Amino acid sequence: MFALNVNGVNRSVDVPDDIPLLWVIREELGLTGTKFGCGVAACGACTVHLDGEAVRSCAYPVSAATGHQITTIEGLSPNADHALQRAWVEHQVPQCGYCQSGMLMSAAALLRAHPRPTDAQIDQAMTNICRCGTHPRVKAAIKRAAQAMGTHRA
Amino acid sequence: MPSLSDPANPKRRRLVQASAALWGGMLVGVEMSANAARLVGAAQTKPDAGAVELTAWVRITPEREVALVVSQAELGQGISTTLPAILADELGADWADVRLLTAPLRQEYRHPKYQWMFTGNSESIQSFYDVMRNMGAAAREMLTLAACQTWRADVADCRTENSYVRHVPTERRIHFADLAGAAALLPVPQAPILRPAAELRLIGRPLPRVDVPDKVSGRAVFGIDFAVPGMLVAAVRTVPAIGAQVTSFDATAAKAMPGVRAVLPLPNGVAVVAQRYWQAARALATIRIDFAQTEASRSADSAVIEAGYARVMNDGPWAPVLAEGVFAGKPAFEAIYASPFAAHATMEPMNCVASVTAERCEVWAPTQGQDLAALALQYALGMAPERISVNRTPYIGGGFGRRLLPDFVVQAALISKAVGAPVKLMWDREEDMRRDFYRPASALRLVAHTDGHGLPTAVLAQLISPTILLPVFPPIQKTLDEKGFDPSALEGLLELPYKVAGRRVEFHLPKLSVPTSVMRTTGYGPNLFALESFIDELAHRAHRDPLAMRRQLLAHDPHALHVLDRLAVLSRWAQPLTKGYARGLAFANAFGTLIGMVAEVHVKASTVRVMRVTAVADSGQVLDPGIARAGIEGGIVFGMAYCKSEVRFEQGRVLQDNFSTYVMPYLAECPEMVIEFVSSERTLGGVGEVSPVTLPPALANAVFRASGQRVRSMPLSRHGLSFA
Repeated sequence: MFALNVNGVNRSVDVPDDIPLLWVIREELGLTGTKFGCGVAACGACTVHLDGEAVRSCAYPVSAATGHQITTIEGLSPNADHALQRAWVEHQVPQCGYCQSGMLMSAAALLRAHPRPTDAQIDQAMTNICRCGTHPRVKAAIKRAAQAMGTHRA
Repeated sequence: MPSLSDPANPKRRRLVQASAALWGGMLVGVEMSANAARLVGAAQTKPDAGAVELTAWVRITPEREVALVVSQAELGQGISTTLPAILADELGADWADVRLLTAPLRQEYRHPKYQWMFTGNSESIQSFYDVMRNMGAAAREMLTLAACQTWRADVADCRTENSYVRHVPTERRIHFADLAGAAALLPVPQAPILRPAAELRLIGRPLPRVDVPDKVSGRAVFGIDFAVPGMLVAAVRTVPAIGAQVTSFDATAAKAMPGVRAVLPLPNGVAVVAQRYWQAARALATIRIDFAQTEASRSADSAVIEAGYARVMNDGPWAPVLAEGVFAGKPAFEAIYASPFAAHATMEPMNCVASVTAERCEVWAPTQGQDLAALALQYALGMAPERISVNRTPYIGGGFGRRLLPDFVVQAALISKAVGAPVKLMWDREEDMRRDFYRPASALRLVAHTDGHGLPTAVLAQLISPTILLPVFPPIQKTLDEKGFDPSALEGLLELPYKVAGRRVEFHLPKLSVPTSVMRTTGYGPNLFALESFIDELAHRAHRDPLAMRRQLLAHDPHALHVLDRLAVLSRWAQPLTKGYARGLAFANAFGTLIGMVAEVHVKASTVRVMRVTAVADSGQVLDPGIARAGIEGGIVFGMAYCKSEVRFEQGRVLQDNFSTYVMPYLAECPEMVIEFVSSERTLGGVGEVSPVTLPPALANAVFRASGQRVRSMPLSRHGLSFA
């Protein structure tokens, strides 16, 4: 049994300790916004937060996630209204949309670490793969969200 | 209209027969397992209770919404916004009231020309624009007539807007929902009158995509997220080499593992069915599959295939495709270009939910090809078509042609049948990339005769390519057998945009054991990489500016000239660059769209930084400028992927079977993009596949001008180059 805190809720799951966190989130907890893309932490579709840091959950054992605050796309904001989600709508970022939960979670972790990221910081943090090629809009939307969050705080 | 069972439709009949022959023969049954689960409950499709159906496309719901049917698969290309918007505009529905329904497999939703339900070839807008206009107008006329019967008014005095019919002289109005019952009793007008362009409010404007909110909240239900009651999950592992045969496997340990309900032998591997995917995957990992190489697996080898292509380049034989004009004198220049195998690698790996009983087969698939899936199921299960339902999941994690094929749908159905329960089949990334139908490797020799100014007067094209069309369009077998060429592989070579008097095109169709099929750009991509590089080489040899030379070759086409002229301005073509930086140009007439592209690069040692890509496109009228722009942008990155990675084979093994080895472009490598649409009275063209066509040649031409290194094959890594 593992005690997990996911999106602010305490849950317990009965799974072997080496099961990737991704499948616990998707199948045991029923949160399907987090996607499977590669299984080897190469594409980022499965990105979630552990205490605000981006983690690729497809290659992260559930046993290492206990005692941490886990956040998935469903818990990023109460009404899908995080500054990034708003900017994603404003810039019409998604195409097929499959990688976008992971993109948003990576971007949220970036903005937490660097509220006004430079181009180089965005380039370095955003290594998620998108086959539709939404990258230019991802970049623009991250900048827009950073700007909106800065204005909000001021 | 001809129907599924209508033998009077010869086009459709040929498709059905040939598809059955091809896919029916390739499908081998799954053996029944003793360890079978029990079917708990059948899945229900979305209820639509109380809704009034005006036509196959338009329903009015009890919630006073206008529900429109989306025939085409939403793969990210925005079609679920653009097509319904055309219909809603013509109808006079308030866009905020519109609700969208994913189409079931039904006659009305078939491609009007082929009578076949599929999404691909950049054809959705071109093929369904008139259908949407007409069906919107038909429903508008029905609602208007119903209102006039109530008012005893003249239809000429009425208009529809914001989901109301309005009687203009008296300013009375009735909501569509209050007219639907009466309107549904009226005949559907066969030749409704379309609105004048001035009345259109949605067409031509950038609309917010209907699918974006679900895609940023995580709520979008993709195939992998789809579930039905009592569903089990299957993980599969097939032999790690194409064409190899399973000799044995030991599943003793797997069968005893928690949650495992069945271990099934597949024709070329094994499936584990469990309560959860993680249980199935864990059990699958304990099974070692022993296999034997075959002639097919040994020949699925990049070195063998390349040697075969080289032999053909020397010795032929060539099938004649086209011969016209005069080839005078000696050839001035010749070059051979090559494009590699590529994997679709959709972000969502193949998956499918299937529920098969003795009486019925129902599947929910992230598919682009509903008709082909239904037909393949019919033959695989030996079941009558009316017992089979092929539902499309509302969201699909990319397609690029891969999901036109029915192999994963059939595999899911056979596993469900074997275990006697609904099953969700999920491939992992390795399975997805090893069991792809790849974009074929091709080689194209171009030979030019030139005039005194270096302009081509005659061009010979000799193309080697395995089939593209056969798996998705089985009737093409006849053409392959009798004529020896695949029309899709020839795209871009027969209808040159340039004026060249002498033309010869020859084809060699190798039969490979590597499965090949359509992938975004089909034949246009590899052929125009070659042709546009070749034109650039001719310009260089003649000391001509590549843009000026293309202008001269396109002097007969004012639309093409306009595209090039805008491109020259936006790309700052004439503005000099410092050493190591250069611009390269490519032009194409593909998928009904004219596109000109300039890539500006910085080549430093072995790295290529793509600084800026400028694209100018003429696709006739642009129905949604925002969505069209996103398609061009995304296609530029897709084109860069063709320049970055390839799939290679060794004794049947697929050497690149995950994103760690099949490396896709990263955000850091993406250029600044400048995109403009020039609208014209040309007929509607597709925009989903044109920019990945022009990116590789524009890039190769820029690399040459920056470094002097001529890249005649992709990816860049073959030349010691990589993106920065």
